[in-house]
Amino acid sequence: MSSIIQMDGVQKSYFLSNGEKIPVLRGIDLEIQENEFVVLMGESGSGKSTLLNIIGCLHSVDSGKYVLGGQDITSLRDDTSLATIRNKMMGFIFQQFHLIQKMTALKNVALPGFYNGMSVSQRESKARQILTEIGLSDRMGHKPSELSGGQQQRVSIARALLNDPEIILADEPTGALDSKTGIEVMELFTEFRKRGKTIIMVTHTPEVAKYADRIIFLKDGKVVNHNYYHVSP
Amino acid sequence: MAFDALMANKMRTLLSMLGVIIGVSTVIAVVGIGIGAQEKINEQYKNMSVESILVMGGGGGGGGGGRQTASSKLKAGDVEVVMSDSENLRSGTASYSGNTEVSFGKFSESKSVIGVQNSFFSAVNLQLSTGELFTSQQYGSRDRIVILGDTIAKDLFGAEVSSAVGQIVSVSGKKFQVIGVLAKNGVSSRLASYDDSVFVPYLTAEKSILGSKGRIMLIFLANSVSVLPTAMEEISGILREHHKLKSTAEDDFRMFDAGSMVSSAQSSAQTLTILLTAVATIVLIVSGIGIMNVMFVTVVERTKEIGILKAIGAKKGDILLQFLLEAMMLSLLGGSIGIAVGESAIPLLNKLEGWYLVYSTTGVIIAFVFSVSVGIFFGFYPALKASRLDPVDALRSE
Ligand SMILES: Nc1ncnc2c1ncn2[C@@H]1O[C@H](COP(=O)(O)OP(=O)(O)OP(=O)(O)O)[C@@H](O)[C@H]1O
Ligand SMILES: [Mg+2]
Repeated sequence: MSSIIQMDGVQKSYFLSNGEKIPVLRGIDLEIQENEFVVLMGESGSGKSTLLNIIGCLHSVDSGKYVLGGQDITSLRDDTSLATIRNKMMGFIFQQFHLIQKMTALKNVALPGFYNGMSVSQRESKARQILTEIGLSDRMGHKPSELSGGQQQRVSIARALLNDPEIILADEPTGALDSKTGIEVMELFTEFRKRGKTIIMVTHTPEVAKYADRIIFLKDGKVVNHNYYHVSP
Repeated sequence: MAFDALMANKMRTLLSMLGVIIGVSTVIAVVGIGIGAQEKINEQYKNMSVESILVMGGGGGGGGGGRQTASSKLKAGDVEVVMSDSENLRSGTASYSGNTEVSFGKFSESKSVIGVQNSFFSAVNLQLSTGELFTSQQYGSRDRIVILGDTIAKDLFGAEVSSAVGQIVSVSGKKFQVIGVLAKNGVSSRLASYDDSVFVPYLTAEKSILGSKGRIMLIFLANSVSVLPTAMEEISGILREHHKLKSTAEDDFRMFDAGSMVSSAQSSAQTLTILLTAVATIVLIVSGIGIMNVMFVTVVERTKEIGILKAIGAKKGDILLQFLLEAMMLSLLGGSIGIAVGESAIPLLNKLEGWYLVYSTTGVIIAFVFSVSVGIFFGFYPALKASRLDPVDALRSE
């Protein structure tokens, strides 16, 4: 088993408009293995989303080292390369679903294929296939506003899978769902893990965290504890 | 995708296109007017040789009507004087013209009558349609014979102008025999339209019809366009000497060359076109600002969408292109409507007195290019801003 994500002393600060510096990550050391299901927990404001966004190449690091799949991307600033990593290697799932309202479920799911150079028929047939697997075959023509929260989240999960990414990044994916729907989402994640995906998920809910192989606790921008629930095979 | 976005807000789309619609229809009209004016000039001067030099009585340079001052000593005989002394002229002739009553049957109207010397018709490129021209002997006579212009012949005798030959018409109350009819020519000189004139021998006009009320015009043809300036100086010198003018005295004649008459007409048409183009450009710039405004609003409204697109792998260039395409579609759609509006306005404008617009593909092409560039130019900055948004900040926005 090899590590897919490796961080050494990663630091990240935000700057307010008045120039004030807000240190958020104060030296993160972290290693995540391929095909691991990891949960990030910690108090509100502890830097979980920030860390997830750095892993997903939406943010850059200020200092420290970030190695992704064997490639040191600490100082990678080139927009095209970063966008390509996000497009092919990462699948993002958000608490608020972040679907494009004026597009149907099918178009939403197919969208990452557009940036991956797939033809319309290619990406839409892939989208149809995933939506069917996920149990939404009868909702493909619906717009997000015509879907329930759970259905919308499943659409956004389908979208995250379109380009077959190695890593799935989920920021409180069950945060806007009731507990039953949340469990359904976790069952999907467990299934993805069986299929070889690496999953990194932020959550505040212990029942949801139970599905993971490992929980990483953040406090004041540092990793304070690695809590193993299962022993990885 | 870009198109869907536009349809999502039809009213705003329409409003933002309004400027482009107005701008582009103005461009169509402007080009129509410009080309129309050009065509008119070409039509007007098409039969005039560029080597021709016109000399008229009266002093003080060019411009003005054809009024002849009493002090002018310009005479038909000057032609021979000039021709015998000049080295740069290939022919010269004179005409004596004015207005008089021409009647036949019930028809009776004041028309321009032109008394002509030998070689007048060839100097101004007038061709015979039917009948005959004056013989050289008739040119020097005071015979009551007349050649009719095309328009006047049709007015008097109908479309079949050959029936005119041999008929007797009344000119200034005297009986004249029609000996020929000219082909349609289209030229309207500074004085009158040749098609709407009648032609008589020079002396007939001077002695029997117009008396001293006529206006004399000498017409010379230079050997070539390149010697035109020299030839004009020469004519001036010869005439001044012949008229015994002191070196300090002003010319008692005015001289024009056909080439500069055409080019001054062209340049005034051009001035008009430039002016109207400036107006159209301003309208288009204003319309571009309208588009820019709408695009800024759109970018702000869709900040979250931009964040989503970036998270799933859109590059800066993809975002830039998408918003640029939207702006271009706005302006292109506006442009197409503008072209349609402009084209359908042309026949309406042509109904107005003194307007002459022409349909032209040039206009459509210019309008098309204009509207696309307006879209690209004014859509670029909003699109650039969109592409530079930070994905995390964008996702967080409401
Ligand atoms: N763009 C920003 N500008 C300034 N400060 C920011 C910005 N984004 C986040 N922060 C600050 O960084 C800290 C960490 O934010 P982050 O969103 O990573 O926390 P979190 O652990 O995900 O919290 P939550 O559980 O509430 O989602 C917070 O104190 C937050 O106020
Ligand atoms: Mg968070």
